[in-house]
Amino acid sequence: MYEELRAEVARLGLTDVEVDFTGCHGFCEQGGLVVVEPEGIFYTHVGVADAREIVDAHLRQGKPVERLFYRDPVSRQAVPRYHEINFYKKQQRIILRNCGRINPEKIDHYIANGGYQALRKVLLEMTPEQVIEEVKKSGLRGRGGAGFPTGRKWEFGRNVCADKKYVICNADEGDPGAFMDRSVLEADPHAVIEGLIIAGYAIGADEGFVYVRAEYPLAVKRIRVALEQARARGFLGKDILGSGFNFEVQMKEGAGAFVCGEETALIASIESRRGMPRPRPPYPVQSGLEGRPTTINNVKTLASVPVIIERGADWFASIGSEKSKGTTVLALSGNIANSGLVEVPMGTSLSTIIFDIGGGILNRKRLKAVQTGGPSGGCIPARIPHTPVDYETLTMVGSIMGSGGMVVMDEDTCMVEVARYFLSFTQAESCGKCAPCRLGTKQMLEILTRITQGKGREGDIDTLFTLARTVKETSLCGLGQTCPNPVLSTLHYFRDEYEVHIKEKKCPASKWQRLPRRPLRK
Amino acid sequence: MEPVTIFLNGREVNGRPGMTILELAQQEGVYIPTLCHEPQLVSPGAACPSIGACRICIVEEERTGALLTACTVFITPGMEISTDSPRVLERRRSIIELMLASHPDSCLVCDKGNRCQLRRIAAELGVGRLGFQKVPQTATIKENNPFIKRDLSKCILCAKCIRVCQDLVVEGAVDYFRRGFATRPATFGDGPLEESECTFCGTCVALCPTGALMEAEPAYRGTTANVIRTTCPFCGCGCGLYVEVKDGRVVRTIPDKEDPVTRGTLCVKGSYGYDFIYSPDRLTAPLVKVDGEFREVSWDEALSLIAGEFNRIKAEHGGESLAVFGSSKCTNEENYLLQQFARCVLGTNNIDNGSRLYGAAGLHGSPETGGFFSTNSPLTALEEAEVILVIGADPTASAPLVGYAIKRTARCREAKLILVDPRETRLSLFAELQLRPRVGTDLALLNGLCKVVLDEDLADESVDREAADFAAFAESLAPYTPSHIEEVTGVSHQELRHAARLFAGAKRAAIVYGNGITQQVNGTGALKALSNLVLLTGNRAAVYALQKESNSQGACDMGALPDFLPGYYPVTDREARRRFRDYWGSLPGTPGLTFPETLREAKAGRIKGLYIVGEDPVSSFPDAGYVREALSAVGFLVVQDLFLTETAKLASVVLPAAGFAEKDGTFTNFEGRVNRLRKAVEPPGQSLPDWQILLHLAASMGHPLPYTSPREVREEIEKLVPLYAGIGYGTLEEPAPESGAPERGAGEAAVYRKHPGGTPRLAPVLNGAGPPKPHEAYPFVLLTGSNLYHFGGGTRTSRAPRLRKFSAAAYVSISEADARRLAVSEGDRVRIVSPAGEAAAVVKTTDTLPEGLVFMPFAIAVNPVSQLFSIVLDPERKSLLNKAVNVRIERIGSDG
Repeated sequence: MYEELRAEVARLGLTDVEVDFTGCHGFCEQGGLVVVEPEGIFYTHVGVADAREIVDAHLRQGKPVERLFYRDPVSRQAVPRYHEINFYKKQQRIILRNCGRINPEKIDHYIANGGYQALRKVLLEMTPEQVIEEVKKSGLRGRGGAGFPTGRKWEFGRNVCADKKYVICNADEGDPGAFMDRSVLEADPHAVIEGLIIAGYAIGADEGFVYVRAEYPLAVKRIRVALEQARARGFLGKDILGSGFNFEVQMKEGAGAFVCGEETALIASIESRRGMPRPRPPYPVQSGLEGRPTTINNVKTLASVPVIIERGADWFASIGSEKSKGTTVLALSGNIANSGLVEVPMGTSLSTIIFDIGGGILNRKRLKAVQTGGPSGGCIPARIPHTPVDYETLTMVGSIMGSGGMVVMDEDTCMVEVARYFLSFTQAESCGKCAPCRLGTKQMLEILTRITQGKGREGDIDTLFTLARTVKETSLCGLGQTCPNPVLSTLHYFRDEYEVHIKEKKCPASKWQRLPRRPLRK
Repeated sequence: MEPVTIFLNGREVNGRPGMTILELAQQEGVYIPTLCHEPQLVSPGAACPSIGACRICIVEEERTGALLTACTVFITPGMEISTDSPRVLERRRSIIELMLASHPDSCLVCDKGNRCQLRRIAAELGVGRLGFQKVPQTATIKENNPFIKRDLSKCILCAKCIRVCQDLVVEGAVDYFRRGFATRPATFGDGPLEESECTFCGTCVALCPTGALMEAEPAYRGTTANVIRTTCPFCGCGCGLYVEVKDGRVVRTIPDKEDPVTRGTLCVKGSYGYDFIYSPDRLTAPLVKVDGEFREVSWDEALSLIAGEFNRIKAEHGGESLAVFGSSKCTNEENYLLQQFARCVLGTNNIDNGSRLYGAAGLHGSPETGGFFSTNSPLTALEEAEVILVIGADPTASAPLVGYAIKRTARCREAKLILVDPRETRLSLFAELQLRPRVGTDLALLNGLCKVVLDEDLADESVDREAADFAAFAESLAPYTPSHIEEVTGVSHQELRHAARLFAGAKRAAIVYGNGITQQVNGTGALKALSNLVLLTGNRAAVYALQKESNSQGACDMGALPDFLPGYYPVTDREARRRFRDYWGSLPGTPGLTFPETLREAKAGRIKGLYIVGEDPVSSFPDAGYVREALSAVGFLVVQDLFLTETAKLASVVLPAAGFAEKDGTFTNFEGRVNRLRKAVEPPGQSLPDWQILLHLAASMGHPLPYTSPREVREEIEKLVPLYAGIGYGTLEEPAPESGAPERGAGEAAVYRKHPGGTPRLAPVLNGAGPPKPHEAYPFVLLTGSNLYHFGGGTRTSRAPRLRKFSAAAYVSISEADARRLAVSEGDRVRIVSPAGEAAAVVKTTDTLPEGLVFMPFAIAVNPVSQLFSIVLDPERKSLLNKAVNVRIERIGSDG
């Protein structure tokens, strides 16, 4: 389509038009997308065949193509402009600030949008301690899911004495249905690199790694290009911007193991060993890559850093809820009208996200539950729709912030099947090292599978509880410690559904059919 | 350091900072079950004190309610730990139940029996009926080796096998495979062990907490009640092991995990080679040859016959017509008694021991006289080296424990390994730099290294450059320029310089050498050149002279040598003789004959009586025909052994001796460590320990020796041999009580005998006779070396069914290019002809050898390679030179 647009522009000899590609706009439901700036006219579902019409009608004659306008899924009204669309209007894009707005393969676009200003400020005007202080003050917490305060992590990293330290960007986004890190890397790689360099400066590291999934070939390519450009411009290498600070970044590609998103497994993988977690402490920040202090931050955490430096900690801290500052990026999917990437301030309620931004449930069905945080997250029932999305509240209701996955489920969804589905993923991805995770997930999966097949037995629910608690409390790493969440939360909120499955051998979510209801829609 | 105070089950206790909860609990006698924890598998400096995989050792931190694994969490002040709260016990039970749910119900027939740690912990926790459904794991893997059987349906993935294989023996044969529930330890490609890197050291089998890894043959051995700590009888490493005894029979050997040197590792011989003690070939009664046939006789009859003959010969021909050949496989006490018997009862210094064959016997004496270093450091020092130089040795085959240590140091501590070997060996993979000199050019190479050190001013500042001998030394090196070395050895001048710089630049260096030097032509020169290199670089290097056999070192220490009394006092030293005479009576003062010299004299008819203890020179020495002829010429030959060996068949009287598991004593290993040998079972039939036979024989000859036990002998050694004084040798504790589980054993303290003092001086060493010159009729150089699966002359290993079953027929390795030229391929039979003789073997083609060099290991069950050598002695050390020989190779076609 990009080629087609360019060809058409060239054919018509339009000279005041520039056609360029960007990263993802995050509105999956509506692609392909074409935005005509500066008016901000937003065309959706554009095909190759539509290119000629856009160029000819809109660009040459100034008449927008109405049939390609976005239509609100509820009101069916056409909404021509980007900023008027509910999906975008109610978002606050900080992490995704450049996504869809710049060409990710051109460093000049990034710089023109204020890129590398924060790095300049940090290196030339601030001490590492001041940087850490600023990040601490901003209240930024790890966007990888656990929500550890970033400033404190950096402070630990800074205070450890060592001849060499490392910083790593964790871009091993493994959750199925999560693609926010990928979007940032593909649409705005320099933001991540800038954040990584600032992190290196703050903790006193001179070497960084970007550990990215090999399944993201485009992200891999864009990082490579961005690193080359940053090096060529002197943002990487020796004596950066004349500050005397040296920093190099290497990219490492993962080999497909979900568990490599876990810090210690990630380190093992970079060291060319099998990606398996080891017990913590010692934490990587004490003893990580090659036994050296290593600070690991998520893509979105790092992408937030330059903005915090630029606009100030107070501005950042003014966004979000009391303990969770800034914004969060959610991957909205499931039985929802507007699936896609959504960035909202922390503390935004589930109902705002689902109904206002997400456009509500498809096919006029009723909302049954929302599963947040990826395969290790829990299910939040529809009866608590005003739950604010932040670290503390989600944990309190039995789920997690996690990667930011958000699967919306309608009334026809079988909650036992939901638990079984997510567990089948984590079970297969368990590294196998520790006994509770390797054996306990398998045992739970066997039981859940039996229940969904109508072969549930008296006592299965108690056994599931015992297993889930054992796995959660005794597993070695975060994978095992969180993977029972879908089971525990559905048991907690939808226990009656389990009981109907076991006692009556049928699924209450499907009134006309014995078993099972349709598998979870992805 | 301030102690850390925590509450353990409500009790206030103190621990060291850096202690784990588990360690503190153990110190306080509080039991916490573990399945995957294994202290010796934690490499020093590792981030984690344990792997934390099984999660059985969870305890509860009562302040936070957190469950912590006791093996991985360090104590911090104020902790309140409960090791047996209801929640802890419930979680432990769930984990055990999960393990049992995917474990077969075969406990009744499982050979692991009461040794199974899973079963034991399940019983302790009262796990009876399972609440979970059975989810079976993958089943047995088809293996075709006689050592190890894997039944991974019983695997709980403690990963001890993986960790020991990668971190301790550093073979890397197994690793994690697959993910999730399907995860298991597997070889590369998930094939059988015999197709992997596995060397069947058996260490993993000993560590496996369940029946997942077991001995393959026989499948059922049963649970043992008695366990005895003793020492491996094979190579010079002297590994500590436990012998498990059931119904009076040894059913298993397992490594001693607590041993500070072996750290729970063994090799295939230590783990599976003990079978020979139950060989049907064992001698069970004394034999006397009557009309060419052996006849069983009583001990009295045999002893009085021998006593009569020896006394007669001594009276008629003098003591010098008698000779004794002692064994580097017998204990210190036995060798001490034997040399005393030779010197005081027979009246001769014609005593030697089996290590003569491997060059060890010639290594001894003070460095001033010998002019070279032998072992000067315990093996633990090797693991602190920054640079390790291995020359003339393949320890992965000849001294596996040393091989493990070198690999560990190179892999885990990133030490730089300089390997000098014309062949690629298993160590090559670990080498920073491998120099591949032509066979027999080690001396030139070492001189070349010294030259680079001098020329590039890399010599240590402690070297006195003004000394007179320094100038002479420097002068002598003038011809050994790098370009000359390149010409002579084939090692490029860049590599030579690189090696010299690496070695000289190391603050801590180590040198390991073996038979590749001591059995080589010019070996003496090479040893001196090696000493020069050590001295030039500041005399800091830890030196390790590998020993072939379990007590090569001890037999020499004990004076089973023609020229030295115990402790290396020269027999010519009147003062020393006087010292011993006070205890023993009069001693002959002229040096005796080495064993090869004895053979020569025997052939000439001048040796009338010969007493061979625990050696089989017909099988192990070169030129069996010559040895046979010489021994046949001896009028009265007495052989004392476990088996009716080829040598014993020539004897007039054969005495049945006890094996290593059947007697008490001590071995001294290559590093000078004194290891205890303890009696585990009774010797078969009428056979007796060598020391008892010796005492009986001396008494029969009318010259009783005043001892009744090995301990009394030790007490005397401690008094008379300064090397063994003050180390607690005389009172080394008596046999441990025959009970108790070895995994809870306290381990055995390492006791080292002292090192002979003195330092060699820098001295010029010039090339003597060159390497074997290529000869038109014999265009190949044949190199011999050790075979991991066999040992020495094969007397014992060829009678160990599992080792025998696994080892190939006699083979010769030939480079692919040479094989093409000879038109032979893998599996063909060839005849190898040397000036001394010929041997048949099967061809193995390899890419580990340069063209023109072939390799044929020693010690296949029938040992044909020794036929290719003749007996040639190093003039100075009087060691046998049988490392390399020129040969030609002929194909044995179908037409013959």
